[in-house]
Amino acid sequence: MNEIDNSLVFYPLSILLIIFAILTVCCKNIFHSLLCAILVFFLTGVLFYVLGSEYNAIIQIAIYGLAVPVILGLAIMFTNPKNSTQKEKKEISNFDYTTLLIGGIFAMALVYLVMMSLVTMPDNFIILEHISTNSFQTLAAISNCVFVKYVWAFEILSVILTITIIGLTIFKHKGGLQK
Amino acid sequence: MIEITLYHYLFLGLILFVIGFLGSILCKNVIKVLISIELILTGVNINFISFATYCDGIEFDGYVAALFYVSIGAIELALALYIFYLMYSKKQTSNIDKYGEL
Repeated sequence: MNEIDNSLVFYPLSILLIIFAILTVCCKNIFHSLLCAILVFFLTGVLFYVLGSEYNAIIQIAIYGLAVPVILGLAIMFTNPKNSTQKEKKEISNFDYTTLLIGGIFAMALVYLVMMSLVTMPDNFIILEHISTNSFQTLAAISNCVFVKYVWAFEILSVILTITIIGLTIFKHKGGLQK
Repeated sequence: MIEITLYHYLFLGLILFVIGFLGSILCKNVIKVLISIELILTGVNINFISFATYCDGIEFDGYVAALFYVSIGAIELALALYIFYLMYSKKQTSNIDKYGEL
């Protein structure tokens, strides 16, 4: 929490985040793309720690930094990336510039919305400049939210997860997609 | 040295969101599209946590929302990869343009 104003941490971290995020999208080799994505997720965890949320930092690194890349790596190994890369190289000539145009328009609209929200911010919108809580208070507050205030949301989430697992199992036993 | 404010974090989240959004539109590989969607979720999580830190120093609702989105993102990724596995078994390609029958 005390390091929240530390620009020496924020700027290098954010520059690395943006560079690796761009590399994630731009790398042609899917393995390199996944490695850059792992770095993005780890750096995001560090950013959460700098912001004072140690709990979220741990969750981010454990789930997005470790678990999700394992699943994605297995999927990449399953799909034989050498063939995919060759096919992508052949199809790069058919690049559709209209999608780039639409994406650019959406990006500009997003930037415009953020700028307008900064201009039209209400006067009673309070921004705390200095946080006075310590790590234990943060953890206690998060636990209070998870297990008391928003317990129904996480219960619904667990039900969704159970339905997903059961549904996928049934789907697999019934033969999956019909050929 | 410039003081780091809420807007710095919001702008960083916005940049990550836009990169992920463009990646999910432009990439042809299904796995890369899924990674781009995770980048979008990461940008959203940065916004949640920065708002919770700077604007809500007592109850930390934004932290819980970020936790919720991480869980939802993991479920979504598992489901999407399973569907991708089934489609790949049928089509033998990871090009998203070939998956129009879904």
